[in-house]
Amino acid sequence: MPGRLTVQRPSPTTVSFTVSNTPRRSKSPAKILFGFQILLRAFLFCCVIVVGIARLRRQFFAEGKLIIIPWQDVWSSPLGLHVCGLVDAYNPWVITVLCALVVYGVFRRSYTEESLLVIRGFGIQTSTSSSTYLSTAATRFIPTTQIQDIVIHEAFKGFEVRFYLAVIVEGEPDVLVVFPVSCPSTSIRSALTWILIQQLLPKREILEEVWRGSRRCLYDAKS
Amino acid sequence: MPYNIAMVSDFFFPQSGGIESHIYQLSSKLIDRGHKVIIITHAYKGRTGVRYLTNGLKIYHVPFFVIYRETTFPTVFSFFPIFRNIVIREQIEIVHGHASLSSFCGEAILHARTMGLRTVFTDHSLFGFADAASILTNKLLKFTLSDVDHAICVSHTCKENTVLRASLDPLMVSVIPNAVVAENFRPLSYTPSPFDQIPTSPLRTHGYPGHPLGTDLLIAAIPRILALNPNTRFIIAGSGPKAIDLEQMLERNVLQDKVEMLGSVRHEEVRDVMVRGHIYLHPSLTEAFGTVIVEAASCGLYVVCTRVGGIPEVLPQHMTTFAKPEEDDLVVATSKAIAALRSNKVRTDRFHDQVKMMYSWRDVAERTERVYQGITGEISSEEFYGYYPGQGWEASGDRVRSFALIDRLKRYYGCGVWAGKLFCLCVVIDFLIYVFLEMWFPRANIDIARSWPKKQPAEKSRPPTSARSIR
Repeated sequence: MPGRLTVQRPSPTTVSFTVSNTPRRSKSPAKILFGFQILLRAFLFCCVIVVGIARLRRQFFAEGKLIIIPWQDVWSSPLGLHVCGLVDAYNPWVITVLCALVVYGVFRRSYTEESLLVIRGFGIQTSTSSSTYLSTAATRFIPTTQIQDIVIHEAFKGFEVRFYLAVIVEGEPDVLVVFPVSCPSTSIRSALTWILIQQLLPKREILEEVWRGSRRCLYDAKS
Repeated sequence: MPYNIAMVSDFFFPQSGGIESHIYQLSSKLIDRGHKVIIITHAYKGRTGVRYLTNGLKIYHVPFFVIYRETTFPTVFSFFPIFRNIVIREQIEIVHGHASLSSFCGEAILHARTMGLRTVFTDHSLFGFADAASILTNKLLKFTLSDVDHAICVSHTCKENTVLRASLDPLMVSVIPNAVVAENFRPLSYTPSPFDQIPTSPLRTHGYPGHPLGTDLLIAAIPRILALNPNTRFIIAGSGPKAIDLEQMLERNVLQDKVEMLGSVRHEEVRDVMVRGHIYLHPSLTEAFGTVIVEAASCGLYVVCTRVGGIPEVLPQHMTTFAKPEEDDLVVATSKAIAALRSNKVRTDRFHDQVKMMYSWRDVAERTERVYQGITGEISSEEFYGYYPGQGWEASGDRVRSFALIDRLKRYYGCGVWAGKLFCLCVVIDFLIYVFLEMWFPRANIDIARSWPKKQPAEKSRPPTSARSIR
């Protein structure tokens, strides 16, 4: 699924374009699926914590210092015994790596959201959502005085020629690409393509709309 | 009927030369005639990405590995994904390759045929048949041209050469010469001068590897010409590996005051160098067309050249003196030319207008357009190739090339005992890659690029019956 564009105009001199590839969750099965996904993430995170505690039970929890939970009872229960057996059977490094991977998967964002905020007489701000839920979005602000132009151009990207929207910033050798990432969706083929190309830029129609809108907001005095 | 045409070649600006300016001039004149033209070449240093030139001519500088003298590494298949992307996003109908040594061109023709597009190939140079390098090149050319829809050569000699090298049906090869922009090569108003000056550019700034140019001939001939005609001066433009030999010759014979060496000259300054002289000496050993001779004649210079390759076809008799490509004859011919010029037998002041009448890029574009119409079936094959009933011509009449894989394989199989099988294998792999690319990068995901706005919007309304409906 390619990126979707949402335009917000809170005031006549401000416009915000957001490209994201979140699937539309308008129907109830999609909503249920989304809720299930959150539950699954929470469950996986709990599993990682339990495995971690089980691994470290001899070092920290053996003497019963943390007495909120009766740890000895937990380890002696059938499930606890099973977990302990599993943890002791494998190399601690394997467990560490696996836990790290699962934690990464739990906090990984399944979509990317990129936005361009244009405020007349003030400047523009681009932002790209980070790949995990733990860190914040990367933003960049450019004041109006530094914006030389906003252009759409083409470039070679992997095995393709793609359109991109770029801001030419005064005093910088490179242009600033506005929507650098918009990774596609969930289907297996696109996921593989994504690995191949790493980044997909949005379609030309979306770029043209953003280009017109932002130029109108920045330079056209009437609207 | 406007077409969307892609010109593919390894050689394009910023490098300068005959092929490069041919592609540029032809493309801009085709755009003037209402077609859409893009150029696909490899990335040069400092010239990468997608660019536009005057008139909305779009250039794709594809990043690619360059091995030797701006020729890309011949990898048969690796150009396909990006080529397919460009062709789809620009909605190309005809792929026109240039220069037989360009691996981009060969690959593009193969892939274009796989994708079901019409292809044209223009050959700009002559090759031998004897040495190993030529045999290899000729085999590659045969591979490229086995399945091409039509070939264009710049002179009749070049056509003969190409037909022999690639075993083509001669009717599938057209001759369309180069042209010059006569406005850029105007003569100075004639002023009598005590000396005859001979500018000559035997050393090219670049050329094909192993392209034999007659610098040795020039090195041998200059002292003798100067001995016979003491009032003569030489101006030599260009640089190359033989420049040192030439300088050694000058020092040995103490001719520095009579021969001026300019080094390499930018293309736009060539005219300023040429108009300083009266005779243009062109001691080339092989030449498919020799645009520089036409430029010299356009500048109002009398031309002395060797009778090799396509040179005798280029200019009418009264503008040139021909020599055999050997030292003695070159000296005799040059002396004859100097004598003729001294006795005012040659009206060099009329050359410019005559050349202007003979060569123009508009004419070249018109003739190329007719080739496009012929291969897309807009003019019938009888009209395009001529119709010879009862002469056995039509027996070999698979001139309108079908896109069916089995027909293409038949054409490639005839290329040689081993080569035929190898070529068939390449074509089959190419086809499989195409099928794979269609699944992996579906057509629907590729953005269609906007065309450059045309000058006459009336021409934009083209009926949907184009090449595709005839296929």
